Formats: sequence, structure tokens, C-alpha cells
Amino acid sequence: MSADVIISAKGVKRLYVLGKEELWALGGVDLDVARGEYLSIMGPSGSGKSTLFNAIGGLDTPTEGTVTIDGHSTTDMSEGQIAYLRCMTIGFIFQTFNLIEIMSALENVTLPMVFAGVSQAEAAERGHKLLDQVGLTGRHDHLPTQLSGGQQQRVACARALANSPSIILADEPTGNLDLKTGEEIIALLGKLQHELGVTIISATHDHKMLAASDRVVYLEDGKVVDIKTRDQIKFSFGEVDGAVD
Amino acid sequence: MTENSSSANEPRQPDSRVLTCLPFGEIFAIALKGLRIRIWRASLVISGIVLAVAFLTYILCGDGLLRGAAINGSAGLVERLTQDGLLGQADAADQRVQTFWIVGLATLISFVGIVNAMLMSVTERFREIGTMKCLGALNRFVLRLFLVESALEGAVGTGLGVLLGLAIGFGEGLTLYGGEVWALFSASRFLTMVAACFVGGVALTILGALYPAAQAAKMSPVAALRTEV
Repeated sequence: MSADVIISAKGVKRLYVLGKEELWALGGVDLDVARGEYLSIMGPSGSGKSTLFNAIGGLDTPTEGTVTIDGHSTTDMSEGQIAYLRCMTIGFIFQTFNLIEIMSALENVTLPMVFAGVSQAEAAERGHKLLDQVGLTGRHDHLPTQLSGGQQQRVACARALANSPSIILADEPTGNLDLKTGEEIIALLGKLQHELGVTIISATHDHKMLAASDRVVYLEDGKVVDIKTRDQIKFSFGEVDGAVD
Repeated sequence: MTENSSSANEPRQPDSRVLTCLPFGEIFAIALKGLRIRIWRASLVISGIVLAVAFLTYILCGDGLLRGAAINGSAGLVERLTQDGLLGQADAADQRVQTFWIVGLATLISFVGIVNAMLMSVTERFREIGTMKCLGALNRFVLRLFLVESALEGAVGTGLGVLLGLAIGFGEGLTLYGGEVWALFSASRFLTMVAACFVGGVALTILGALYPAAQAAKMSPVAALRTEV
């Protein structure tokens, strides 16, 4: 990979204790993500991909190991630094959208800007632009419940972009969407990567997402079992389902 | 400092990469807006507080009126109250125990009612708290938001509750025993009772909200998001 590494995970382990049972959801993961890369984390459910995803995003602290984002280790960060990271550096997209139900599309998109201290006028202007960008022009006043699943996920994409982050983390972004809508969201993420140079990391078991990825990390039982680059993915999947770029 | 947007545009330096909490005025505006949008849910919570505080105020009011009557009520009033079994029948010690239990139970019912209403209304918003934390909300922001929201709910609910309790208490006294009731409370005792109900109600409302909010704020965002209510 290129020298410009934006996220680096070193020996990341995560232990879950459920009663008397101890479960290593991650058993020592090393992973470097290059700036501007579209990386997919693949694996069956229970393979630890969500755990790795959370550790990379600073949403959860690994039991052992370190995650370095933009040159700063998340384990040494103060609460204010972690909040800065989540607010300014990383944009999150979730399987269940996680929009705030009582807020309109525009208010959801501008919430991270409010946390960043952006003035209301500027936030509204940027929010409208972002909603245009994800194809939701004129929907700014709609509440999440008035939007379809695909539209809600678009709002979530716009929200993830609120403070122009350098990384977007998407956890199963197509998991709750039908085939066509899922493809639209994947295309949208690909567009964001190309146009804005955003690094995209997505945990998924959706094979459709592979076509858009630069690299795919395969996770099984909390360990990286394989890493494939774009060319290798095309080689192995291109003929099967005739995927075109 | 990220009080305004300029820091986002400046070159990012290690030291500046800290998010600070929004000023209180802005949190107040957010809380007020949230309450407005959630007006029906908030009304429900507030009505719970109103009923709890009204009940307590009513009991204390009735108790206060009786005590007042025993001390400086007219002979006719004392006799009527005695006839109705409210004064002087059992020996004084018995009466004190009874009063203690009634007031104690009323306090307990109000306590449980208010705390329960607040616990529920905050716990059902754990996902919202988790989401906000994913988007860069500080623990302090979460706590202050719920502090302001619950203080507003508490002030409105307790205020209305005290008024309702007094209205019922005095209304009952007036219909049953006539205008002399007005003279039974000394101003200082009356104000002490009202203040105690108000302060107690608001304090309970805030505590009932801050406890679960602090729990949620302390959790990792993932854990808060995972919480099922």
C-alpha cells in the first residue's frame, strides 16, 4: 500500500465477557488503510467485523492493541479528542440508519455541525447542499418516518459528510435495504470516494459491495483470513455474476 | 477550541483536535426545541409530575389546614372538625403517627411517580444518546441537555402540580368549612410548604433524568445504541 496510511490497527483484540464465558471477538487484527481507499470488511455474522468496525471508528475501545487514526492513537485520547474524531474526522453510516426521529432530514444532517459549533445559517446552507448531493433535493423538511429506507440512508450519508470528514465508516449500509436501493447507496458511496477523495470503510456481507471496493478484508473468527485487491475480486467474481464496473 | 466553524478550516494541529462543549445558551435552545417537537410525550411526562406533586401538595395542605385549625381555629370550626373525626378524637400521639404515615406515603408516591416518569422518558432515548455520541456529542453535552430539559419539565410540572394541589386542598376546605379556612395558614408556613413541594418536585425530576442520562453518557456509543427498551 501507499505510504499515506490514514488508519492503522495493530494487534487489535476485543474480549467480551458474558457471564462466565469469555469470547474473543477479535483475536489480534493488523490492518492498514490507505487514504482515499474503499475498503470492505467481509465476513459471516459473528466473525467480528462489527467489532473491528467499532474499534476502528473509536466507538469502542479494544481490549488490547492500538488503533491509530490520522497519526493519533485512539486509546490515549481524552474524551474531547475522541469526540473531535467522531465529529470531524469520521462520518458514520449504520445499518439501521440511526436518524433522530424527531428531527427533519436537514436537522439530522446539520446536527454534527451544531456539535462542531458551526453557525446556524452556515449549517443550513451546507446541509441543503449535502442533501442535494445525495439526491434528496426538496426533502429537507421531511421527518425520517416520512422517508423510505433508501432515502433515510441517503440522509445518513449526507449526515456522515456533514463536517467534511476524511473517513466514512459504514456498518452494513445496505443491510436493511432492498436490492435496488442497496445498489444505489453503494453507487453513492463510490461517487463520494471518487469525487471527494473520502476513505470509505464498510463492514458488509453484501457481495454487491465488493465491486466498488479497492480492497476486501475477509474476517473469520476474529482474524483476518484473506485480503484481496480490486483486481483479484474482479478475477474471481467477474465471470460469475457478470459484474461490470 | 471549536466554538465556531473557523477551527474546522484551519490546518488541523494535534492540540486543536479537541471538541469543547457547546455554550449553555445553545444547549438551552436545543432543549427547548426538543421539548417543542416532543410536546405530546413531554406533556405526558409533565402530567405525571403534576399529578404526583398535586397529590403531595393536597395532603400537606390538608394537614396544614388541620393544624392551623387546632391552634387558632374558632370554637365552632374545631367542634365541626371533631365531629367529622378529623381533630382531637384519638390522643395526640396517635394523630401524629397517622399524619406522619399519610404525609410519608404521599411523599413516597410522588417520589416514585416522578422518578419513574423521568427514567422512562430518558431510557427510551438511549439510542438517540448513542447516535449523538457517534456524531461527536460530549458526555457533558448529553448531561447538560437532559439537565435543562428536565429542569424545564420539572418547573412546569411541579408549578402546575402545586397550584392544582392547593386548589383542591383549599377548595375542599372552603366547600366544607367555609371562608374561615383562609385564615388558618400563617404566611410563613404556607410559603414553606409551597417551596418544599416545588423544590422537591424539581429536584426529583432532575435527578430522575440525570441518573439514566449519566449512565447513557458513560457508555460507549455502541453500547448505548444496542440498548433495547
